Amino acid sequence: MTAPNADGSAKPRTSDEQVEELLYARQEKIYPREVHGLYARLRVLGVTGLLGIYYFLPWVQWDSHQAVLFDLPARKFHIFSITLWPQDFIYLAALLIIAGLTLFFVTALVGRVWCGYACPQTVWTEAFLWIERKVEGTRLQQQKLDAMPMNARKLRIKATKHFLWVVFSAWTGFTFVGYFTPILDLGHRLLAFQLGPWEIFWVIFYGFATYGNAGWMREQVCKYMCPYARFQSAMFDKDTLIISYLPGRGEPRGSRKRSTDPAALGLGDCIDCTLCVQVCPTGIDIRNGLQYECIACSACIDACDDVMDKMGYEKGLITYTTENAIEGRKAHIIRPRVVIYAMILLTIMSIFAYSIATRTALGLDVIRDRNSLYRETSEGLIENVYTLKILNMDKAAHTYKLDVSGIPGIELDSDTREIRVESGAVMEFPVRLRADESDLDARSSKVTFGLVATDAPELAIQEEARFLGPN
Amino acid sequence: MADQPIPKFHKCIAVLWPSFLTAIVATGVFFSAFDPAELFPFGTDLEISRLGIYTIGFLVFWLITAVSAIGTLYFAISNCLRNHPDSRDQ
Repeated sequence: MTAPNADGSAKPRTSDEQVEELLYARQEKIYPREVHGLYARLRVLGVTGLLGIYYFLPWVQWDSHQAVLFDLPARKFHIFSITLWPQDFIYLAALLIIAGLTLFFVTALVGRVWCGYACPQTVWTEAFLWIERKVEGTRLQQQKLDAMPMNARKLRIKATKHFLWVVFSAWTGFTFVGYFTPILDLGHRLLAFQLGPWEIFWVIFYGFATYGNAGWMREQVCKYMCPYARFQSAMFDKDTLIISYLPGRGEPRGSRKRSTDPAALGLGDCIDCTLCVQVCPTGIDIRNGLQYECIACSACIDACDDVMDKMGYEKGLITYTTENAIEGRKAHIIRPRVVIYAMILLTIMSIFAYSIATRTALGLDVIRDRNSLYRETSEGLIENVYTLKILNMDKAAHTYKLDVSGIPGIELDSDTREIRVESGAVMEFPVRLRADESDLDARSSKVTFGLVATDAPELAIQEEARFLGPN
Repeated sequence: MADQPIPKFHKCIAVLWPSFLTAIVATGVFFSAFDPAELFPFGTDLEISRLGIYTIGFLVFWLITAVSAIGTLYFAISNCLRNHPDSRDQ
């Protein structure tokens, strides 16, 4: 651990080599001490809220189907009243881009709040830590238990903890699969021991990942596996909200009696109780400045505020602040970086919302017959042959009316009398277009196929194609 | 980096983790373009559900991306060793 800078600034003091050393150092188990306070309550709120949504949402029904179901076996995604097909992949890609940009925007503004309150890794680790504390007790009791040789009591406690972890993980894995295959049916088959081999595979796979990441890996996932933790500093500037120790107020640190005046002893407000280190889930000392391991969970703020209260000092020795504020400069909330992120985000979100709102649940694909350019009929008309593919993406079956325009007097001929397509089905059939040679201006003319549902005029789509002729 | 041995655990992460993420993306893109039911137009002897094909597809993608990651790791380490011949990995 490095000593605080003499100038009292909170700049990162670890050099690149030190970071590298830490990245490749042997991992010691971290026993985060339980913490109470405002931010701990906020995190419990976040954890219960998000886990509640995760475990509850698949059971919600909507319009006679599961409200959120990425139905992989049936190749369609239900998100409440929207149904997306593989053709709508672009929407999912857009959603991912929006999620990514939102993360950038939030990071620039308020730092790593995602890490501390909402990241699945944090959320499940908190749940696992809670189980661990219920079974093994406080930080000290856990450390004692781990240090003692194996005996019946230790075995019983450890077995209980792992049993609870495994049950919780298995339920997590089951819920995960419930997002991809209808969960009610899945539940019935689970009770009857009739799960398919692939479903069992994914329950175990996801359950094992939860058990491993939240039970064993914990902060190592943040330190070694998380890409966001590696590049989040690129979104930071001197006005980004960070968690920092105020060295100017705290140093020189040292223990003292509650009754003594720190000024008389020449001490700052930090009593060097190391509680901020004990509560840290990534095992760092926040007093060494901003560090890449810090997931901004603010456990150290709660712990320190508590101590400051007991000492009768002002709270906020460790606090949410900005680099500019620490250095006594003016803080800016609105700055070019934030404005640019916000503008890009708003633009993409508007385009997304507009295209979802105006999306037609109907697809039409026109494929020209590749074998012949055109042929002349016995009546002397020029004929082109096409294959039409109609995809009904609506939730109900529809009958459609097909017409064509673009060339005067063009005739549409098809063996298919009624174009009726079931929900989610594709219909493929050939059509022939005939036109008089005198009506053709060029070798290749534009024709437009129009398709409209007879019972729902808003379900209409147009598709262009080329009509080839001799001149 | 080369003057420190890289723990096996970190090598495993460096290979398995990025390849896992890219395999998910590849699986998503591939199977939104191709329906497994239409991949084998003449049918196969294997009776595998769509979920099964997706799973196998994902695992195959993961295998391929992991092989690529092993290559990257190997070249990164061996190039490092060439540039710092006195250091030793492992």
